[in-house]
Amino acid sequence: MYAANGVPTALLTLMTASPNLRSHIRRGLIAIAVACLPLLMGGWLSGPQSTFDTKGPVAKAQLDVFYVTLWVTGIIFVIVASVLTYATLKFKARNSADEKAPVPPQGHGNPLIELGLIGASVIALIFIAVPTLHNIWYTYDIPEEEKSSAYEVNAIGYQWWFKFEYPHEEVQLPNNGGTSPLIVANELVIPAGRAVRVNLRTFDVIHSFWVPKLAGKVDMIPNRGNHLWLKADEPGYFWGQCAEYCGESHAVMRFRVIALEEAEFAVWLAKQKQGAAPAFDESKAQPIFAGYTPIENKRNLPGWSSEFDLSPLDSWRTFQQPAASSADRALVEQGRELFRAKNCVTCHVVRGDQPGGAPFAPDLTHIGSRTTIAGGLLENTPQNLHRWLTDPNGVKPGNKMYRGFTGGMSGYVLVDHDTNTITGHNITVNDEEARALVAYLQSLK
Amino acid sequence: MDAAAQSHFTGKEAGHAVEKRPWIFTRPTAQTGLISWLTTVDHKRVGLMYGISALIFFLIGGIEALIIRVQLAVPNNTFISHQVYNEMFTMHATTMIFLAVMPLSAAFFNYIMPLQIGARDVAFPRLNGFAFWVFLAGAIILNVGWFVKSGAPDAGWFGYAPLTSKAFSNEFRADMSTDLWVMGLQVLGVSSIVGSMNFIVTIINMRAPGMTMMRVPVFTWMTLIVAFLIILSFPAITIALVELMMDRSFGTNFFEVSNGGLPILWQHLFWVFGHPEVYILILPAMGIVSEILPTFSRKPLFGYPIVVFSGAAIGFLGFGVWSHHMFTTGMGTVATAAFSLATMAIAVPTGVKMFNWIGTMWNGHLQMRTPMMFALGFLWMFMIGGFSGVMHSAAPADAQQQDSYFVVAHFHYVLIGGAVFGLLAGIHYWFPLIFGRQVSEFWGKLSFWIIFVGFNATFFPMHFLGLNGMPRRTAVYDGNMGWNSANMLATIGSFILAIGVGVYFVVMLYTYFKGEKSRRDPWDARTLEWSIPNPPPAYNFAVTPTVHARDAFWYEKHHKEEIAREKLAHAKEDEAHGGVHMPSQSWFPLMTAIGLLTASLFFVNHHMTGAIAGAAILVLGVILWAFEGPGGYHVHPSKDEINDTDGKH
Repeated sequence: MYAANGVPTALLTLMTASPNLRSHIRRGLIAIAVACLPLLMGGWLSGPQSTFDTKGPVAKAQLDVFYVTLWVTGIIFVIVASVLTYATLKFKARNSADEKAPVPPQGHGNPLIELGLIGASVIALIFIAVPTLHNIWYTYDIPEEEKSSAYEVNAIGYQWWFKFEYPHEEVQLPNNGGTSPLIVANELVIPAGRAVRVNLRTFDVIHSFWVPKLAGKVDMIPNRGNHLWLKADEPGYFWGQCAEYCGESHAVMRFRVIALEEAEFAVWLAKQKQGAAPAFDESKAQPIFAGYTPIENKRNLPGWSSEFDLSPLDSWRTFQQPAASSADRALVEQGRELFRAKNCVTCHVVRGDQPGGAPFAPDLTHIGSRTTIAGGLLENTPQNLHRWLTDPNGVKPGNKMYRGFTGGMSGYVLVDHDTNTITGHNITVNDEEARALVAYLQSLK
Repeated sequence: MDAAAQSHFTGKEAGHAVEKRPWIFTRPTAQTGLISWLTTVDHKRVGLMYGISALIFFLIGGIEALIIRVQLAVPNNTFISHQVYNEMFTMHATTMIFLAVMPLSAAFFNYIMPLQIGARDVAFPRLNGFAFWVFLAGAIILNVGWFVKSGAPDAGWFGYAPLTSKAFSNEFRADMSTDLWVMGLQVLGVSSIVGSMNFIVTIINMRAPGMTMMRVPVFTWMTLIVAFLIILSFPAITIALVELMMDRSFGTNFFEVSNGGLPILWQHLFWVFGHPEVYILILPAMGIVSEILPTFSRKPLFGYPIVVFSGAAIGFLGFGVWSHHMFTTGMGTVATAAFSLATMAIAVPTGVKMFNWIGTMWNGHLQMRTPMMFALGFLWMFMIGGFSGVMHSAAPADAQQQDSYFVVAHFHYVLIGGAVFGLLAGIHYWFPLIFGRQVSEFWGKLSFWIIFVGFNATFFPMHFLGLNGMPRRTAVYDGNMGWNSANMLATIGSFILAIGVGVYFVVMLYTYFKGEKSRRDPWDARTLEWSIPNPPPAYNFAVTPTVHARDAFWYEKHHKEEIAREKLAHAKEDEAHGGVHMPSQSWFPLMTAIGLLTASLFFVNHHMTGAIAGAAILVLGVILWAFEGPGGYHVHPSKDEINDTDGKH
């Protein structure tokens, strides 16, 4: 037995001797692990972005391939691990007699066994290769028979939000401005049960479009036209996230996909195509936006609520209803003025209500009907919108609304780009102004 | 081929400073103290310097990892900002890959490989010193960012264009963090290529008589293959880095999107380097494990030719699979299918190695010493990492896994469970040879078990995080995504892992100063490095060994009389040639590297006068180096040293 000077004997015993005790401990640990496994697996694979809880054929095909790899490698693992364990236990020197035993035969190998194992590995890989090849083609593009009924959208990544365009849904621009495709931001609404082709574009850095329950990711790469296809089997509300590191706020570049029945989708489309105008719930008389208490913003404060998550699609439906009451009219009007006065309109268009805007900033035409703000990060509640308007950098560090563009348009602050210091404020929004802006934006259903 | 007997320098210089030389070429002769280290050309000292630097950077990279894990312990944490988080993961990866694992492998290449082939030094001793100093220069350049206003590099270790362009990576005009990254990697590339050239020439030319290529120890074989991989793959990233440097410094448009540049080009160039790089990291560890398993199983390696051939096949196929890092870039069906199949193919030679390692243990007498524990840990962890690698090769499944925590789990199983476990095994294994002291088995095994438990607790849950949709490189996550408990477990695991690594290094330090003295060849090992006294003398082998079999030292131990006769004869030959030829120390490798460091740092700061001055030092260093001449002197081992075979020293 090798020496361990000055080491507590109990520990030494545990580590080196008493095979009985050790096998008990080992068995105990295995039992605990096995008992915990389903619990862990269940809890660890059922999140809103689970790749196991698939809701469409593309994600399903990808999961199928994963299961094939899991089974094949799992079986090989069990075999190899058993042999390795057996070899370790069987041939290990257990006492000093074993240690000093004459050396074993100095064998150099067995070509037949080696070639046999190579052959077996190749066969195992063929089991993986066949479904892999099949599904590479299947997941790449919409199957021929579904192409005629497919729906097409464009997704464009920006630091750090997503723009979604509906190339075949024309909207009439105000003042005889011609037509343009329908544009929304951060929440992609699609028809359920129909294949959807998503053209992927970006004009700044690389992003990646990932809605795990519907389809694996495909990157958006500048100067390159990528696409993916997906289909939601049933209506639903799905979480997505940028999956390619894209700079400071990559972690909070998120989005949602909402799949609707044809009829509901048509209603949604018709509404989105209309220009914006503040909507009021005439049945309510109590002011909504005068009453909320702003929450103090802290860095990385969560913006989700479990009430929303209980039934997210129903939550989305409530967001389509007017939120403001008739008592909010004055506040909304004030917010509408502020939207212009604070230069929001320079970058953000509210089609039909606030002419202006720029292509690199989110279209806010129907922002009140979206469930999230700030690139899918915060639930679209008055308090969250208030936080976002008063302290954008605390919500999403480095965002262009706050910092502006290097060497270009300024945002909330003026930055000296030689020294990286903030030299002044271009836009400030105090609590009163924020309240009015919140009222205005949330009335845009 | 008797390398020593064929030396061109034999007999020309019989000691220090025979001829009269200008003062600038005065050869440093210090054997101890700072100057002896700054001017050293001894492959063992260079190896030690590589090893110690690598371990320091391993600890720095580890601290960066712990900071990352603290930030991710709970949802919406505010421990560090997004910006600092991005710097942390960029520098954690860059540090661990280029400043910890690669130089730690280089440390073993330097120290062990010449001893395994019975050589007295590497082929180009001064170039070897230069490779180390340039490595240190590159490491400094990469880490300067922590101390300047720009901050550390933050565009990811993969630096995908166009995030690295000035428009997106410069927070302000003088932001040079990305320039530091670009320059640091180029300088490290110089070091790697210079070092690799040296290893290749050494292995091809300086093997002891009788050591045919099919008798070369597997670790040396892996050194050779890795050296070729470095030489063939680093040019690709160098091209990419030079193009990026041109874009950033001189306004070219290789990756500049607004002027028609192609960001996807960066990805191809990067991964043509990046995938062989994975094998550059793992093959040395495979080599170490292929030494340790036979020693502690007391049997030769099972299927040596197939293990060697598999290593070469992995290296070769490694150049044909780079695009599996790009399955989500929309390559189209045919390219995706081709790279999918090629990636599966690489599992075959990897699996073969696994089978042969188990075959080595079969029917052996396994001695469960600490190096063996780490080697077995390697087998288990690398097997898991290999299987998740096969899962990635199936492109449709990879579309969900790519850039998720599943990938993070996979490559940490390969790079910690594989490469790092192998290297930690190697440190334990060769510690008695290098320092002449024996590490305590109890503490060694304790550190192994803590590391093993901590490692699995950290990284196994990450498989689930990835499959549950958590993307990589995200500083915060929300609490409603089902990722909380797995993240918390991973963070706890990372601290257990850190404690294990801490125990490991404290034990090493303690052993270095106070450890039990080791006898020669404490493991009853099989390769030539164990045939010499520990710690080894400067000239390594008093008599050039003659190799009769694959496990050369094992053969020596079982044919003592034959070897003793041979040694006497060879000692006479050596003496007839003027003694054992030793390379002279030199200042110029250090001077040239300082020139390179100065030029790089000034260039990054857009200070062209300083850059030119640095370049001048560099050029002057090279000229003086050339005119200094290789030099060399002879030593004459005593009779006792020549006859020493039984461990008395």
